[in-house]
Amino acid sequence: MSELNLTDNKFIQFHQKIGFKFDGVKYYGYKGDTIASALLRNNIKLIGRSFKYHRPRGFYTCGIEEPNALVQIISEYSEPNTRATIKKIYEGMEIESQNRWPSLETDIGSINNIFSPVFPAGFYYKTFMGPHKNFWKKIYEPIIRKAAGLGKPPKEFKAVSTHLYHNVDITIIGGGLNGLIAAKSLIDTKYSVLLIDFDDQLGGILNNSNKVQSVNNQTPMDWISETVKEIENSKNIKLLKNTLVTTYNYINHLIAVEDKFVGSRPLKDKVNSTLHKIRTDQVILCNGHIERFLSFQNNDLPGIMLCSSFEKYMCRYGVIPSKETVVFSNNSNSESLVFSLIKKGFKPKAYIDSRSGENIEPDLFDLIRKNDIPLYTNSQIKEAYGNKKLQKILVEDSSGGVNEIKTDFLCLSGGINPDVHLFTQSKGLLDWDEKDLTYKPAQAFQPTITLGSASGQFDFNAINKEINEKLDIFGIKPVQIKLKLNTSHKFKIEKLWEVLPQKQTIWSKSFIDLQNDVTTKDIRQAISEGFDRIEHLKRYTTNSMGTDQGKISSINALGIVSDLLDKKVNEVGTTIYRPPYAPLSFAAIAGRNSYEYYDPERKSPLHNWHITNGAVFEDVGQWKRPWYFPLSKDETMNDAVQRESKNVRENAGVLDGSTLGKIEIKGKDALAFMNLIYTNSFSKMKPGTSRYALMLGEDGMVKDDGIICKISDEHFIATTTTGGAATVLGCMEEYAQTEWPNLNVYMNSITEQYATFNISGPKTRNIIEKVFPEVNFSNEAFPFMTFQFHEYEGTPIRILRASFTGEMGYEIYVPSNQALKIWEKIINFGKEFGLKPYGTETMHLLRAEKGYIIVGQDTDGSITPLDLGLDWMIGKSKKDFLGKRSLIRSDTVRKDRKQLVGILPTNKNEKLEEGQHIILDKEIKTPTPMLGHITSCYQSPTLGHNFALAVIKNGQSLIGTKAFASTPELKTIEVEIVEPIFYDKENTKLAS
Amino acid sequence: MLIIDCPYCGPRDQSEFSNGGEAHVKRPDGSAEIGDREWGEYVFIRANPKGIFYERWVHSHGCRKWFNCVRDTSTDEILKIYKIDEERPKLDSFKNNVKTPSGEPNLGSGNFTVKK
Ligand SMILES: [Zn+2]
Repeated sequence: MSELNLTDNKFIQFHQKIGFKFDGVKYYGYKGDTIASALLRNNIKLIGRSFKYHRPRGFYTCGIEEPNALVQIISEYSEPNTRATIKKIYEGMEIESQNRWPSLETDIGSINNIFSPVFPAGFYYKTFMGPHKNFWKKIYEPIIRKAAGLGKPPKEFKAVSTHLYHNVDITIIGGGLNGLIAAKSLIDTKYSVLLIDFDDQLGGILNNSNKVQSVNNQTPMDWISETVKEIENSKNIKLLKNTLVTTYNYINHLIAVEDKFVGSRPLKDKVNSTLHKIRTDQVILCNGHIERFLSFQNNDLPGIMLCSSFEKYMCRYGVIPSKETVVFSNNSNSESLVFSLIKKGFKPKAYIDSRSGENIEPDLFDLIRKNDIPLYTNSQIKEAYGNKKLQKILVEDSSGGVNEIKTDFLCLSGGINPDVHLFTQSKGLLDWDEKDLTYKPAQAFQPTITLGSASGQFDFNAINKEINEKLDIFGIKPVQIKLKLNTSHKFKIEKLWEVLPQKQTIWSKSFIDLQNDVTTKDIRQAISEGFDRIEHLKRYTTNSMGTDQGKISSINALGIVSDLLDKKVNEVGTTIYRPPYAPLSFAAIAGRNSYEYYDPERKSPLHNWHITNGAVFEDVGQWKRPWYFPLSKDETMNDAVQRESKNVRENAGVLDGSTLGKIEIKGKDALAFMNLIYTNSFSKMKPGTSRYALMLGEDGMVKDDGIICKISDEHFIATTTTGGAATVLGCMEEYAQTEWPNLNVYMNSITEQYATFNISGPKTRNIIEKVFPEVNFSNEAFPFMTFQFHEYEGTPIRILRASFTGEMGYEIYVPSNQALKIWEKIINFGKEFGLKPYGTETMHLLRAEKGYIIVGQDTDGSITPLDLGLDWMIGKSKKDFLGKRSLIRSDTVRKDRKQLVGILPTNKNEKLEEGQHIILDKEIKTPTPMLGHITSCYQSPTLGHNFALAVIKNGQSLIGTKAFASTPELKTIEVEIVEPIFYDKENTKLAS
Repeated sequence: MLIIDCPYCGPRDQSEFSNGGEAHVKRPDGSAEIGDREWGEYVFIRANPKGIFYERWVHSHGCRKWFNCVRDTSTDEILKIYKIDEERPKLDSFKNNVKTPSGEPNLGSGNFTVKK
């Protein structure tokens, strides 16, 4: 058993055994274990296969910086790429290793390792260029996708996450030693404070190592629990545990994600994660440091781990990954591990340091000597050997002799880096520290304070001074923390990035990025190929581009590059750490804006009636509109539309037009305003009349259309397209406020206040006279394009005589809460005249027969009113309106502009298709000059054949000539170019 | 994500606002006497400076009022917010640092996160 002592502590409840499955085999761990600590307890050291070469990999770290140990959590909808080093186990958890086939032990993909000469740096760019362009799609890509990569996407996953907002004065990120001291000093001050830690236990380094012996004469554990209690009891500090700050945006805007189910199976209907969106005046970064690794041959073998991680497994989880480990270091960070190992009675098998004896910390040196640990100074590990696990290492000592040491475990330390990810996300500047060999925060861009090792302050004796200086701005009482240490208080390091390879074999590789399988050889090759700028090098080699962003290795790469280029590291620069700090699930980002709440659904007041009557719905913007009303399940859309269209032309039909935008415009200057917004002139219109109107952009292009009802010079009601309502209102508001603030005018949306029924067809008058017997619907009393206000059983209604189908028709506007009553009455009274509801598809067909355009279908933002042949709608006498001057721009007066025309197939049996091109030649040669394209196309039951609208170059002058329409099969159909009107050209029906 | 101090509602999150591009662009009237160049510049041409920029915002998910704003585009710092009918603040009343967050050169771009 790789366990230390089994008495319960705050981290692990040893009395509570937990069963879980890894690759189908059942194991036991304890409450509080991570997947990694539990598997190490069971002596499992092989956890996955690497990304490119499928090499066996183990646990390299004990935290969020882990590059290797990514697993798939089968019991959580198969959640992939979960870090085994932080995810806690629970009873019944099922875990699978990733990127191996058929099994972790026997992985066929590891043959990639032998073929590795074909996977050099930039192999994506170089190798797969030929021999034929289809090779990539058909052969290379599918193979690579199968062989390379990480986990598989989750299955049947339904995210449950929510968002929470905070607005505080100070946010402290990291509840380690410095974070706790800072928070404690802010207790009962005037500031509201948020203290965030990723762990469920505050204390950071105090929990994870034996560096500190006592704090203020208390044991570290006692000091932590007392301090945390004080913080929890304070009124001005809020504590968020299990919460990772992933993003540090402009204006001190932080994004943090909280895991609500740490150590238990997420419940299906409960919030699994909370995304915290934090605004704060001041950020205090206390997020500590990350240990680096070192590069040498086969530094990726299972059984190799960072020093601080090994110590964390011991201190935090009570598990010792190996009782006979070798330690290899170039800095003081290994001292604490050696101390802990000896204290527990598992002294290292050997201690190897690249430094000379006199540069090793005296305390450490004495400790090693006193315990008879074999010591190799001025020495380096040349190569590690092993089959799926470490078996031996080769050490080159100061005299140049090579010593073989048999060992199953090796702890590495290549130095430490302040965790600058959040600091650089905030746009703070870094500076290279030549003494500590790392980038440190130099100049904050936002109100950001860094404390402790996060600021590059690695000296335990300087903690009080730093905190008192940097937190002085808050007027806190000076803190005086007394620390007693087990190890040296200062940090010392000597440069070592990479032990140069001794011999080259295909299997032996010296890795610089474990997650993306980048070797130091790849770095050399990229530089020799000219990719010597660090940002180029990163992309060419994919170094530090994995989900871990090279947390334990990216600085090493900079060191190697600076040596190769013979430049200072500061001159090489560093790549940018980008948010998020660690992968952030889409589910957390989406929060409640997912599934049925992704986008609001808008429904007409008649929605339930449509459902009852079998409507099939179509999405129009956010609206649900009846598309067609099939008589039975067997009736196809085409059949239903043919039937509905025929019925409107022969009897009558009614459409739910409630989704049309409706805007009410009022004010002394309403008339002047409307004249400026629309192309038409409304000045001579009599009250009670209405007009079809166009709205242009300032570029002269059609933006929207609708019917404008003039109640008086000071009161208008405009309709807009269903999708354009918000834009039109926004445009009116903008111009009223910014261009013509002198005009007295107000506007408001009344779309949802009124339902609209569009009744049309030759029998409309019979029906509507029955529904509204007190209204005189004769042509004389109620002419085309006029409207009247009436009352229906006490409900005020407005009736407008207008038509979008070409038949005589009326639009009835009723308050939404009375809509169903009146609609049902119309349907009932209309039965004897053959009245049927119809949907949007029939509406589209009927309006196209009449040549009425749909903005956004027949126009696309590049069509002027002149292109549509709607010159008559332009108020030529008006001095100004939106886009007026653009109608005489050189571009809009071009002769060869695309113009709206009608298209008919010469052979009436041929079917045209929307989006197909109109061309002049029967044969499609490449390139074929294109005249334009079909914008609308339908089968007309009235004409008995296909017809279409199209926009084609110089269309108006081509009317009467022949052309060809292309087909998806690259054939052509001969067509006639005609006027864009196919039904009732004389408009007799509208006024009948 | 910016915090924008709506002159009518107070400071709110950027997600409540929409940007309206350059401010103080005078709209010529639509008459034919306006030359192609003058009209074309109004319709199509907008400034895009690195540094101090006068721009318009609308509190679209709030009071729906338009207002003007002076922002340093290189740092995203909002220097002033004023109502549509208020006078345009003079350019020399702001310190034009033209510094980018990462301290890049004034011209061109590059990724220099390291202090020079
Ligand atoms: Zn507002």
